Amino acid sequence: MTETLGKTDTLVREVVDTTHRRPPVKRRPRPVAEEPGKRWLIHLPLALYLLFTIVPFYWMLVFAVRPTGSTQLVPWPISFEHFDTVWNDIGFGVFFYNSVVMGLGVLVFVTLLSVMGGYALARFKFRGQKVFLLAMLCSQFIPGAMMLIPLFVIFKGLGLLNSITGLVIAEVAFQLPLSLILMAGFIRNISVELEEAAMVDGCSRLRAFFAVVLPQLKPALVAVGSFAFIGAWNNFLFALMFATRQDKFTLPVGLSYTLGEFNTDFGALAAGGVVAAVPVVLVFAVVQRFLVQGLSAGAVKG
Amino acid sequence: MRKLLVAVAAAALALTACGSGDSGGDGKVTLTFWDNNGGPAREPIYKELISRFESANPDIKVEYVGIPSASVQQKYDTAIAGGETPDVGGVTTSYLAHLIGQNALAPLDDRINGGALKDKLLPSLVETVRQTAPDGKLYIVPSSANMDVIWYRADWFKDAGLEPPKTWDEFITAATQLTDAGANKYGYTIRGGAGSVFQLITEAYAYSGVDNFFEGGQSTLGDSANAELVDKVADLYKKATPEADINNSFTQMIAQFTGGSVAMMHHNLGSYSDVTKALGDKVAAIPLPVGPSGKRTVVPNPTDGFAVFNNSEHQDAAWKFAEFLTSSESNSYWNEKVGQIPANTDVRSAPWIDKSAHVKMALGILEDPATILVPAPVYLPQYSSITKADSEPLYQKVLLGETSAQDFLNGMAEKLTAAQKEWEERN
Repeated sequence: MTETLGKTDTLVREVVDTTHRRPPVKRRPRPVAEEPGKRWLIHLPLALYLLFTIVPFYWMLVFAVRPTGSTQLVPWPISFEHFDTVWNDIGFGVFFYNSVVMGLGVLVFVTLLSVMGGYALARFKFRGQKVFLLAMLCSQFIPGAMMLIPLFVIFKGLGLLNSITGLVIAEVAFQLPLSLILMAGFIRNISVELEEAAMVDGCSRLRAFFAVVLPQLKPALVAVGSFAFIGAWNNFLFALMFATRQDKFTLPVGLSYTLGEFNTDFGALAAGGVVAAVPVVLVFAVVQRFLVQGLSAGAVKG
Repeated sequence: MRKLLVAVAAAALALTACGSGDSGGDGKVTLTFWDNNGGPAREPIYKELISRFESANPDIKVEYVGIPSASVQQKYDTAIAGGETPDVGGVTTSYLAHLIGQNALAPLDDRINGGALKDKLLPSLVETVRQTAPDGKLYIVPSSANMDVIWYRADWFKDAGLEPPKTWDEFITAATQLTDAGANKYGYTIRGGAGSVFQLITEAYAYSGVDNFFEGGQSTLGDSANAELVDKVADLYKKATPEADINNSFTQMIAQFTGGSVAMMHHNLGSYSDVTKALGDKVAAIPLPVGPSGKRTVVPNPTDGFAVFNNSEHQDAAWKFAEFLTSSESNSYWNEKVGQIPANTDVRSAPWIDKSAHVKMALGILEDPATILVPAPVYLPQYSSITKADSEPLYQKVLLGETSAQDFLNGMAEKLTAAQKEWEERN
């Protein structure tokens, strides 16, 4: 009852404030969004920003769906000739398949290994743990181009050139350190007491992991997995260097392939870009819910 | 739990299995061929030539790999370091020396002189290739060349009663006369942005008649006659050219010319399809004008050719394919499709040459014994950074009148001399 009274009190005071004393409105800052008249203060910059991000995509789409030589800004009728060219003539069908297989391979192995390694890093103390973490972090400073030739020589010896397996191995090796560190952070945030409770109830450590930790790790798995997939999807250098047969090219290599020294078929390039971008956009559309959760989970609860 | 691990292991194995799948040998020789400017435009041309070659040589199979042109040098470097080079590869003189330095290519002199191509290759191109190698041997068989030209509006010249310029003075006069800034018509367009200095160097040597890029180890770029030309061109800026020229890269320059606001543009044969698509027969090409010396000095564009790699297990077959690609029939077919200068001299009588005036003109220049080639030291590792990143902004200052042409060229010459010295010490 007192609470209600209190609220009424404030309300009354507010009414008094705004009507009889001047200039109270200016002196009391309010959240901008609450006032419909000032909404544009947020919406206008956001709209501009949206425009800024969307125009390049729109441009790509426009080039992709209008016939060569057309200068329409809103292409109609839509033509799919460029998609036909890139998919069938240039071989984006094959490149796409290669990219998908590679991306999924990297996703599976990076997620799996980072969960296992991350759990060990988060839950166990072992000699040289700090040094190990530091080494993982430092490995991020090594550019892929520097490791290119040694990797090439090793892969050649192992017969892994011209194979998606080779690409998956290289990519997993490069992505693992960061994923491992991220995953360890996520796991550290899940209270160890939950696990201990499960163990008291008779679970083995493994069982406790699956029953208690893994379900809570879903956002982390999605975050790490999608980063891994997108990283692999976008990798150009290894895909270009380790493939000496066109049927082993991936999408980024295929895109670069449409850029000639003297002539560039912008229609084909744009259509190829759409083909390469769509899966990533779809992946993000599906996982973004988890992704935000996952990122904040890792970020806030120290 | 064990089940899950087994499933994971099985998945890993399955992935490995689908990743590797190499074709087995069937008694045939299989060659790998790398196209150094791979892409949808050139792939069908090579595929056609390969199928012709394979039907003539049933025991040899050629595998085409198109390498994106922007990454081709890195790709070759990696392949050389890893010992996975192709049998035959397209190579241009701009990175030829770099590949020779790594001992990757087989010299082709004996093979060329012992076969059908003897005395059939344009001497100026052969010379360009020789000069690129430290030991003067031929490490590629030249197949085609590009050349810097001035594209001009034949219709404007006709209306104004002007002849296409032969000397730089005539060029300046024509550029000034054809300008009508009020009607948004300009006599010339300067490439002031990306790629500017590379073109400027060819203009300077065309004017000065200086016939060697290095004289006693010193770069001749700072020659006062070279500076004279740079001054003359810079004088045209804003008087006979659009003001926006200062930022012109290839794309803007082409857009101005094809958009119909400019009478003359300096580029190379590579823009043929762009300019004719927009302007049809209203456009024609002339060589870069000559200077007061009257000598025709040409800084050649990189020459394209085919190399046989040392690492190849089938060098004889590889050569057979390279020779086939350079034979008069293939060379004619290829250059007709891409609009460049064929290296095989037999092609000059092909009917398509008569129809493409620009190729005929360029071929004429390269065949003329009076033409002096002044190859730029593209083999220097720093060449590109010196002439692009270091110099392009300075050239803009020259255009704006903030730096003198002589100082600008001297600075560049100094760097080139130092780079050349370093190169000679290493080789």
